[in-house]
Amino acid sequence: MSRRGRRTPWLAVLVALIGFAFIALPIIGLVQQVPWRRLWTDLETPEATAALRLSLICSLWATALSVLFGVPLAWVLARVSFPGRSVVRAIVLLPLVVPPVVGGVGLFYAFGLQGLVGQYLYRWFDIQLTYSTAAVIMAETFVAMPFLVITVEAALRSMDRRYEDAAATLGAGPLTVARRVTLPMILPGLIAGAALAWARALGEFGATITFAGNIQGRTQTTPLAVYLLLQSKPEVAVGLSVVLLAVCVAVLALLRERWLGAG
Amino acid sequence: MRKHVKLWLVVAVVVALVAAGCSSDGSGSSRGASSTRTTTVSQLDGTINVSDAASLTEAFGKIGRDFTAANARATVTFNPGSSGTLALQIQQTNGAGIDTFASADEENMNKLVAARLIDGAPRIFAKNKLIIVTKPGNPKHVRTLADLAGLGTVSLCGPTVPCGTYAAQVLRAAGVTIPETKVTRGLDVKATLAAVTTGDADAAIVYVTDAATAGRTVGSVTIPDPQNAIATYPIATLRSSASRATSQAFIDYVMSSRGQATLRSFGFLAPS
Repeated sequence: MSRRGRRTPWLAVLVALIGFAFIALPIIGLVQQVPWRRLWTDLETPEATAALRLSLICSLWATALSVLFGVPLAWVLARVSFPGRSVVRAIVLLPLVVPPVVGGVGLFYAFGLQGLVGQYLYRWFDIQLTYSTAAVIMAETFVAMPFLVITVEAALRSMDRRYEDAAATLGAGPLTVARRVTLPMILPGLIAGAALAWARALGEFGATITFAGNIQGRTQTTPLAVYLLLQSKPEVAVGLSVVLLAVCVAVLALLRERWLGAG
Repeated sequence: MRKHVKLWLVVAVVVALVAAGCSSDGSGSSRGASSTRTTTVSQLDGTINVSDAASLTEAFGKIGRDFTAANARATVTFNPGSSGTLALQIQQTNGAGIDTFASADEENMNKLVAARLIDGAPRIFAKNKLIIVTKPGNPKHVRTLADLAGLGTVSLCGPTVPCGTYAAQVLRAAGVTIPETKVTRGLDVKATLAAVTTGDADAAIVYVTDAATAGRTVGSVTIPDPQNAIATYPIATLRSSASRATSQAFIDYVMSSRGQATLRSFGFLAPS
């Protein structure tokens, strides 16, 4: 590097500061609106407790389902080579970039009463998914699972496979290798992926309101309640927002060791 | 080494996406549902931005086209939504970027009058009634308001959205209670209607005008006048508007016989 490269590029710093302020200001704006003294009372209103309870249950279910289906999916994408793998990966990762509302519309045409699968669920088993808590969990899993897959796949690809080979050479079956070698080695990645998936599930709005509706106590999760309460009880809406914000901060703090430690 | 670089790239993307999800998802994606049209802020006289109740979307679209056809130098853009949300936006920004407000109830307009954000006195330009809409052909045989309580899912506007407060009045007057666990709440009347037209809700209570616009995509069940509520629509120019003259001209056009005829053609009732 020449000396020129070491000079502080003030213009870049200035632009960076603007960028930082743009992200930080809304968060400061939200936090300074919080009525700290009555925060607890606000969070104890029936709408708020119902929304928080529902959010907790649904996001944990979504995280569990993401792990259950996401880990094998990540393993297949990382270790099995088959034609069209990149297409499959692209489809799996699509919910990361697709507007959640569009995801909700898609879920509706797949699992709604007239949907590809939904019509048979209704006709044969009398199951209606739309406007149910199950629909919330599905919407949240839809948007959250890619986070888990992308993280676990990266962990599987970057791990040293010689340990697996060694275990296999020493007579361990494939399941034992997976349980005793692979899983412990990717565990940090798995935890990080699950945390990201959970945070994303907790914040889900667009797919939920489109596919699951907005029913208090059944499908009205915290983000939906925030939007609806903004008109009638803005202080409760702000209180709920700050709870979501705190969760996001906690997740980032959990991942700090892994990802933010570089600074 | 190369694998590590790849992993870090993935990680950076994921962190960025999650941060976006955490902070902006709530309000960001929701706007898509109520379709904000262009919100140009212009200091030039002749461009007005009208925040209008969602139920006015189609009628005001036509009136806006007619108005600009008659006034070549004027431009009208609309920002439709729930009157409650629109009033809140105006209050929080002191009316920045908005010139005209047309509400589906007097309550939200009066809030702005009390906050001294309105220029002059609001004018009542239309009235509306409620109606029950069902799936086409009314497969669940809904005849009365009382039948709604026995359905799977009923779509109503949010409790603070005007169509939601009117619906609550109507249901109370009829002595009907629908369990809250069967009610999905739309963020404005168009979202409430969409739960029936493109969703799986069995029925909704919306304005007569929305049922008319939805046409054959819904079945409709009239609510008898003694049980029905009358929605009152006031319109006014905001004090902060930089185009008050154009806004006033637009309001005059809405009140004129041509504007009134358009509103009538969409099913709105006369203001008095």
